[in-house]
Amino acid sequence: MKKIFLLLSLFIVAIMSAKAGSMPVDTGKVGTSDDPKDPPLILFGSVDTYWKDDFSGKANIPTSFGNEQNSVSIGFVDLGIKKKVGKAAFVGELSFGPRSDQSIPTSGYHIQNLYVSYDVTDKFNLSAGYMSTFIGYEVISPAANFNYSTSYLFTNGPFQNAGFKATYAFSDKVSLMAGVFNNYWNTYTSFVTHGAATTSGDVSTFGAQLFLNPAKGWTAYLNLATGPYSGTEFDLTTAYQITDAFKLGLNAADFSAPNNGGGFSGIALYPQVAVSKVVTFGLRGEYFTYKNGGGNVTAFTFTSNIKAGAITLIPEIRLDTKSAAFPTSFVDSNGASTNSATQFLIAAVYAF
Amino acid sequence: MKKNILLAVLLLGFQSAFAQKSLLGLDENNRYIYYQVVDRPGLAADSLGKLALGFVTSSFANKKEKSANDSSIKVRAYFETYSALAFAKHESGRITFELSIECRNNKYRYWITDFVFTPYERDRYGMFVPVVGKDVALENAKIKLDKKELEGYLDQTGTYCQDIGTRLKLYMQLDHHSKIKGSPDQSKKIVTKNW
Repeated sequence: MKKIFLLLSLFIVAIMSAKAGSMPVDTGKVGTSDDPKDPPLILFGSVDTYWKDDFSGKANIPTSFGNEQNSVSIGFVDLGIKKKVGKAAFVGELSFGPRSDQSIPTSGYHIQNLYVSYDVTDKFNLSAGYMSTFIGYEVISPAANFNYSTSYLFTNGPFQNAGFKATYAFSDKVSLMAGVFNNYWNTYTSFVTHGAATTSGDVSTFGAQLFLNPAKGWTAYLNLATGPYSGTEFDLTTAYQITDAFKLGLNAADFSAPNNGGGFSGIALYPQVAVSKVVTFGLRGEYFTYKNGGGNVTAFTFTSNIKAGAITLIPEIRLDTKSAAFPTSFVDSNGASTNSATQFLIAAVYAF
Repeated sequence: MKKNILLAVLLLGFQSAFAQKSLLGLDENNRYIYYQVVDRPGLAADSLGKLALGFVTSSFANKKEKSANDSSIKVRAYFETYSALAFAKHESGRITFELSIECRNNKYRYWITDFVFTPYERDRYGMFVPVVGKDVALENAKIKLDKKELEGYLDQTGTYCQDIGTRLKLYMQLDHHSKIKGSPDQSKKIVTKNW
């Protein structure tokens, strides 16, 4: 009898889950003006794990995340909630794990996104809070990246910008964002430099983004972030779905640190070919250089995304070749200094 | 007896799990369509046309009007689909569709067709946004979506169309001329004096 009730309970739970999954949900985009529909509370997130092996047996490649050598390691558990009621919305996204620790410089804090926004009109939006940066092609969450390892442009650029921004959409094809952000990147409070004469930080970084949709399937973002403390970065991020199967992405950036303190520039290409519903192959080819004679590095990453339901398997092989002046040291299997490094990595990302 | 109860529960469960995909038919061009003809006695074609225009104007914030005259209207709009996980759902894509309403004296018909699915992807701000260049007609979506996923979207489309039909029918039955905007519905007035 107990078994029957147990089976019955399981069956009902399964049916209810299937039914809930198949039900359409009102979205807020459709509804009568007398009976407006708001989207439900949205839960989203991901978890990721990986194994990496540098062919030298040493962890050489220094870009963000996925650094642990010959170890089944974890990225992070990322949990986000968001809700929109009428014109007002919020997003809160928390993360825990090594990928979180490496992406949030403030020890003990676990916030990736925390902001509120308001649609003043259908075309004009205001947002304020701590937000992922608007700069760059790659992002912190592995669920929103094609490659698991990250580029030098990503690693050296901003991760988050806290501030206030206004976005106006002139049309479906053109929009402009402008905002003011805290004086330094990646901090949720404005920051006082150690030894500075002032006792408080300020909101002195100006940011702007021009979005263009020049053709069907083609998006381009021209980005600028500039401030007396954070420096100035120009960035172009663009992607073009040229055919149903072939996509080409490009990221180019130039950063100048304040007070002639150097900087970097670089370019990365991201061609990707979908060979089936579940398998896509991609290449990231990147050239990155530090200013003031800081050396350069060229990196090629061959990556595949293999989708199995909510899980994406990401095997990749990466080859980095650097100049002697590049500040990171690579070593071979004997521990001798070398200018190239090759690694294999396989990751599994579950996104929901 | 217990077996009968168990059987009934199982049957009910199966019935509730069955989807709304069957609400969609195929038209002459093998495109999915939701088609209904509704009687509305007592109203001429142009009056029904005004009501239809009012319904469309108030119902679809994202619409793009394709054509309209006294007795017919055609708009393009979309609704969002959601992922199949019941405990943590988020937007998984949007389905764009074309709604046509044609009115004649004492009746009208409407049909919803030309469904195009656009998948969403997560962006850096925790938003789910359309993937550019990945649109696919629902009729051809099996080459891009797995079977279960596609069935889920067809279910959601069927239910959404049914909901539009219900809303439209209700709207077309209302006497909008006597309804004073902002005033409470007199028929719902509760008299507390006598009890």
